[in-house]
Amino acid sequence: MTDLFPNAWHVARREYLQRVRTRTFVVITAVLAVIGLGLASIPLIGQVLGDEGAPTIGVYAADAGLSADPAQSLEQALNAIGSAGGGDGSAFEVRSVEDAGAAAADVRDGELDGLLTIGRAPDGELTFDYLSEEGPTSSALLAVRSAATQVAIGDRLARAGLDPSQAGALFAPVAFDLTPLDPNAQDPEENFGPRYVVALAMTILTFMAVLTYGQWVATSVAEEKSSRVMELLITAASPRQLLAGKVLGTGAAGLTQYAVVVAAALIGLLAQGLIGERLLGSAPADPALQGVDPLVLLTFGFFFAGGFLLYALLYAALGSTASRLEDVQQVVGPMVVVGMIGYFASIAGLNAPDADWVRLLSMVPFFTPYLMPARLLLGSVEPWEVLLAAGLTAVALALALWVAARIYSAGVLLYGQRLSLRNVLRAVRVDR
Amino acid sequence: MSLVVDGLRKRFGQVVALDGISFSVEPGRIFGLLGANGAGKTTCMRIVLDILRPDGGSVTWQRKPNIALPRDTWGYLPEERGLYLRMKVIDVLRFFAALYGVPDAQATREVEDWLERFRVPEYRDRKVEELSKGNQQKIQFIAAILHDPDVLIMDEPFSGLDPVNVQLLKEAFLEMRDRGKTLIFSTHQMETVEQLCESIAIIDRGQVVVSGLVRDVKRAMGRQVVRLATDGDDNGSAWVETMDGVSITARREDFIELHVAAGTDPEEILRAALQRGERVTRFEIADPSLEEVFIQHVGRPAAAEEERHLAAAGRAGAEEPAA
Repeated sequence: MTDLFPNAWHVARREYLQRVRTRTFVVITAVLAVIGLGLASIPLIGQVLGDEGAPTIGVYAADAGLSADPAQSLEQALNAIGSAGGGDGSAFEVRSVEDAGAAAADVRDGELDGLLTIGRAPDGELTFDYLSEEGPTSSALLAVRSAATQVAIGDRLARAGLDPSQAGALFAPVAFDLTPLDPNAQDPEENFGPRYVVALAMTILTFMAVLTYGQWVATSVAEEKSSRVMELLITAASPRQLLAGKVLGTGAAGLTQYAVVVAAALIGLLAQGLIGERLLGSAPADPALQGVDPLVLLTFGFFFAGGFLLYALLYAALGSTASRLEDVQQVVGPMVVVGMIGYFASIAGLNAPDADWVRLLSMVPFFTPYLMPARLLLGSVEPWEVLLAAGLTAVALALALWVAARIYSAGVLLYGQRLSLRNVLRAVRVDR
Repeated sequence: MSLVVDGLRKRFGQVVALDGISFSVEPGRIFGLLGANGAGKTTCMRIVLDILRPDGGSVTWQRKPNIALPRDTWGYLPEERGLYLRMKVIDVLRFFAALYGVPDAQATREVEDWLERFRVPEYRDRKVEELSKGNQQKIQFIAAILHDPDVLIMDEPFSGLDPVNVQLLKEAFLEMRDRGKTLIFSTHQMETVEQLCESIAIIDRGQVVVSGLVRDVKRAMGRQVVRLATDGDDNGSAWVETMDGVSITARREDFIELHVAAGTDPEEILRAALQRGERVTRFEIADPSLEEVFIQHVGRPAAAEEERHLAAAGRAGAEEPAA
């Protein structure tokens, strides 16, 4: 047994520098960063687009004989309803129209979203007629109807002799507070959406890392073998040093790529507040990371790194059995399958984070990085379970390094023949 | 205190690569490992380097088993050349030096020194892929010696080199020997062995067919070569073949080459020529060439074997198990 370091460090350093200097790496990282920035900006873009579609309603009230301009009170009422309902905050715009016929034509052309015609019935009551393509159950229609009711009630009160300022006080919002039964209890629905999204993002990040960077490792080993530089390497350093350096260097390059993409996405999220304010006059709601404990992120980081190293070691071992670069895809097949199983188990587990099979699978080192984030974010997990999973991951890593080093030392010098399982197992037995 | 290879055996599936190989190399000497392709030279070297484990037998250097020796005991130039093509020469060499624990500054100094010696100092900051095969080979030789190993093991170091580079590499070999290093290399080129090696082992089908000092190996053939030229015999000196144990092996422009079997004194030929009244202009007694030694033991010439092998490999795509 030789010491892993410093040789693993030398190998990792070379691997990292060579990797991040390639044009492919730079281009792909830049493209991914742009995509990350774009994805992070979707809420803002949606808002800007949604704003352009904010409903504009025309009011024709020439025959109603109202004392005040109904357009103003309607707009106030509509927007009060909109924000009280926790809606998206998009403002209604209401304006008075002089020509009912022209306004109706505007509605048909899409210039106006609706035309509210206010009249007065012979018994003195106000009548409302709303011309729009809205369906009878649309929320906009309900808001207009509710606002119309307020205008009608105001009119009734005025006719009953109430001063308009007193009438305004009648519609002032009431003080209404909620006292929870248990002050510490969180509404299970509260922030469930964001946490679900974060868990899903973690699963996808893990899956991409394992598949993409695992593939890098396997290809890099196969390249060294086919370019015959391997024979020099294996003379200069032990298989364990070479393997550890390879996965650490590639992992660091992968993390660099992730860091750039995540940074771009974060910049997108943070800039949204500023841009949103400039563009719309209001900052959008903080779209992510609500209700996510930093400790959960840290734990995820640990399982993510452990899982990546575990997969990468075995990818490297399998890559060493390929004689040509074309064979790499084929030899790493088993690891791809294991990774896919973890991914799909995780997607299913997101909807049942406390199921027995999820608890069990989350202890299996290959699946821990996939299932633990879901359990931590969406389900309940005991501290000892996290520690056990971490311990099992550490044991699996040590074991994987041992097995991978043996497959690797047998694989790297065999050319032109596919390694059968028997050959590999025989090689594993030879101590080195 | 020598390198002792004792009874190495190794098989790959059904193929027996080594069938009990034994030889020893004295420290500070240049040793040639001769054999046709597939004879087992590369497998033997890999076992000495402990990148392959034998099925049986042992390797010791200065009485210590090779598996217990530090890696920097050995310098290795594999037959299949390979470097990181997209890296700069200096970076590749510093990387390998670092794996052997050589500090960067020292490695840089050594690299510059050797590039100078090989008359290519301008390659320092070039990418490896920009260099010709021959020059890449020089870089690889430097990679093998940067950590100042005691034993240098080189698999076909001269193959693919032009005569100028062959000469540079030979000089490097001698320099390393003068520094007290032990050099072992394999080759098909008998002339190179004659020039450099004090002792050799000839390997065929996984076995050592003969080994020892070059002089002893030649003497053990039990025959000698005589080169003879005379005036006044238009008959091509056919008369010499009437003598016991003497045969003409080659007719050259101005002399003939004779094989003289053991038991016949070469001087008999000189005496017979003088008795016939001929004027002898050349009479030379020599040991047989290594080429002849090789043919005698292996049954076919090494070079022809190489050419046939290369032709076959070219057809099949060089994809056989390296043995």
